[in-house]
Amino acid sequence: MSNSTTVSSESIWKGGRSPFNVSYGKLMMWIFLLSDAFTFSSLLVGYGAIRYSYGGSSTPWPDPANVFNHFPFAHGMHLPLLFVSLMTFILIFSSVTMVLAVEAGQRKSNAEVSKYMIYTIIGGFAFLGCQAWEWSQFIHEGGRLDTNMFGLTDAGHAKATALKFGSHYEWLAADRAPGPVPFASLFFIVTGFHGFHVLSGVIINIIIWLNVVAGTYIKRGHYEMVEKVGLYWHFVDLVWVFVFTFYYLI
Amino acid sequence: MSSHQNNHIEGEYIPESYIPHTESHGTKQLWKTFWILLFITVIDFIIYFVFPANMFRNITFIVLGVIKAILIIGIFMHLNFEAKFMRWMIILPAIIFISYLVAFLMIEGGFISSMKY
Repeated sequence: MSNSTTVSSESIWKGGRSPFNVSYGKLMMWIFLLSDAFTFSSLLVGYGAIRYSYGGSSTPWPDPANVFNHFPFAHGMHLPLLFVSLMTFILIFSSVTMVLAVEAGQRKSNAEVSKYMIYTIIGGFAFLGCQAWEWSQFIHEGGRLDTNMFGLTDAGHAKATALKFGSHYEWLAADRAPGPVPFASLFFIVTGFHGFHVLSGVIINIIIWLNVVAGTYIKRGHYEMVEKVGLYWHFVDLVWVFVFTFYYLI
Repeated sequence: MSSHQNNHIEGEYIPESYIPHTESHGTKQLWKTFWILLFITVIDFIIYFVFPANMFRNITFIVLGVIKAILIIGIFMHLNFEAKFMRWMIILPAIIFISYLVAFLMIEGGFISSMKY
């Protein structure tokens, strides 16, 4: 950074130094993440277009508040958004421990890198556990790749509008009807694709952590691998911000 | 593998193994970013329960999401501290193509809706 500020932009392109001042591996990670950002934005934009197209339909798009309203050990209570907010907190916290591991690597403190990477891996597993629980609830209530049982009949609609945060409820068979199928299939596809990224992120984190413990980066003299896996992990957090916004908030 | 160097000599061919030295900017800013992200999530939570669902609320959520994204990319992913050309090379394609996709969403989603119902 100190180089690029003292030299004018013209001479940066005359050769002898990289205008991007970044290593080969990190540049490739950024370009991969850029392509992955396009993949996820296509998925979310597709979700948005399909949801928007149900605007005038007689089977409206289900309100997420009536679907994702469970919390562990609070069976039968209407608690929308609480569990996903917990998941968001877990992912943001694991992101901060990851960036602390990167920072410790820049100071070449092997023990601290190892410690913070363990925290990050625990956070990743906690998030995956939450997602597994969320999926099992969704499947239990009738969500399949080709079926969506979250549509409401008139009786169900009356019940749903009377629900308040924390109130008790029970869906009866007469309350629910088949709703738009893409609601369920896109839930599995988008959160599944994100969850698979989290899973691979946890696996890569474990591999890099094993290298840290083995002292590979002490020998190598730099912790660039930790920075690269950190970029990937933050990207997973970044995608979750938008999945959270488009699936649960809107 | 012992040829990794933190500084290469001026005018010399840049090897693939060139690793620029990255310096720690301390942990204070990182924790601050964490608290801001958490604060925005809490704001999201409050808005969700206080205001009725409408277009204005949706736009607020998207704006807050974009602010969170900027913080994560800039501070956590360290893009604010990269070289100028590096920053624009990553940010510009993302802005151009994602806004292109979103524009398609607005046009096509409306058309599909009007065709179906």
